[in-house]
Amino acid sequence: MRTPSSLVRPLALAALALALTAAPRPILAHHGFSVEFDKESPITLTGAVTKFEFMNPHIYFYVDVKGKEGKVVNWAFEGGPPNVIYRQGWRKDTLKPGDVVTVKGFRAKDGTHLAACATVKLPDGREVSAGSGAVAAGANGAGANSGKY
Amino acid sequence: MSNPTRFSNFRTACFFPLLLFALGCGGRAESSGPQAAAPPDLNGVWSAPFTPDLSKALGRQPPFTPYGAARFAKEDEIDDPLTKCLPIGPARGIQAGIMPFQVVQTPAVFTILFENQHTFRIIHTDGRRHPKDLDPTWFGDSVGHWEGDTLVVDTVGIDDRTWLDTAGHEHSDQLHLVERFQKVDNNNIKWTVTFEDPKFFTEPWSVTLPIARQNTEIMSYSCEENEKDRAHLRRTKK
Repeated sequence: MRTPSSLVRPLALAALALALTAAPRPILAHHGFSVEFDKESPITLTGAVTKFEFMNPHIYFYVDVKGKEGKVVNWAFEGGPPNVIYRQGWRKDTLKPGDVVTVKGFRAKDGTHLAACATVKLPDGREVSAGSGAVAAGANGAGANSGKY
Repeated sequence: MSNPTRFSNFRTACFFPLLLFALGCGGRAESSGPQAAAPPDLNGVWSAPFTPDLSKALGRQPPFTPYGAARFAKEDEIDDPLTKCLPIGPARGIQAGIMPFQVVQTPAVFTILFENQHTFRIIHTDGRRHPKDLDPTWFGDSVGHWEGDTLVVDTVGIDDRTWLDTAGHEHSDQLHLVERFQKVDNNNIKWTVTFEDPKFFTEPWSVTLPIARQNTEIMSYSCEENEKDRAHLRRTKK
């Protein structure tokens, strides 16, 4: 059964708009935030999406980012679990290869070209959360570095 | 696996209602036999607040034994069993927050289906007791009974590799959980869990969380499918 696309789009927009209100804090699934990422190393990068993995235990997407000398580096970004962000409006085609996006996140502690994605600014201008901050932000006892359960 | 208590439980299940019936006949002539009130129907999808640190819900650290305090002091998130994609454990699964669970309830079993790794708990409500010589398992052995609007669940035999929360509160294989699922109304459950473990804690301690009905269905979550993080993890202590 396919829902008419005329209905899907407003629903998806509404869900993504809701996700916008989420705290831009990455919420992870099977490991804590601070065990992999550095909250003191925020990063904002813009580039074209090369691949989107809407898979467990975290979504991953990859972005070609052009450096100062024109050298292109393929960055990996990690978001929340697909089941969790599906409920926030994400779908497996929310990001497509070629989409130019601006990603805000936090670098991995090991210095690789990996970051936890907090928000993504999509080609249409919407900036959406890639985690599950809306739920965790209101959760009992959720600490700044406790993005796992 | 043999279950030596099964037959005796069956006998209990048969004779106990007869005994109640006999006692009831003497007291109330108009009674056509005592009918226990049906337990609440808790079928549905539920979630409790994400509670990564039980000490915050408790308002202090649990009453550690010296051994328990030493273990907690050295524990690091990198050692969390969830990081290795191991099962979440019986009480921590309830506290998972963003990944809900589904209750499937029959008179004989109260089943909790966790979205987290599609794991589950079977809580026997047919009157049986825990088996003797129980080997620890990831979710332990659970038996339950109804006290009015409350399901009281007793769990033992929990593998000591599970953690109680993300913060690194651990337990031994002597952990004894008592949970009370009290129906508040059709959309709310008051869940109280008591942790008893003489190796880790000097006395039992309890935490209460609200469980709310969710307008969703449990979805797939398989931790190993595209696991890429373990190579990047770093210790957070020392």
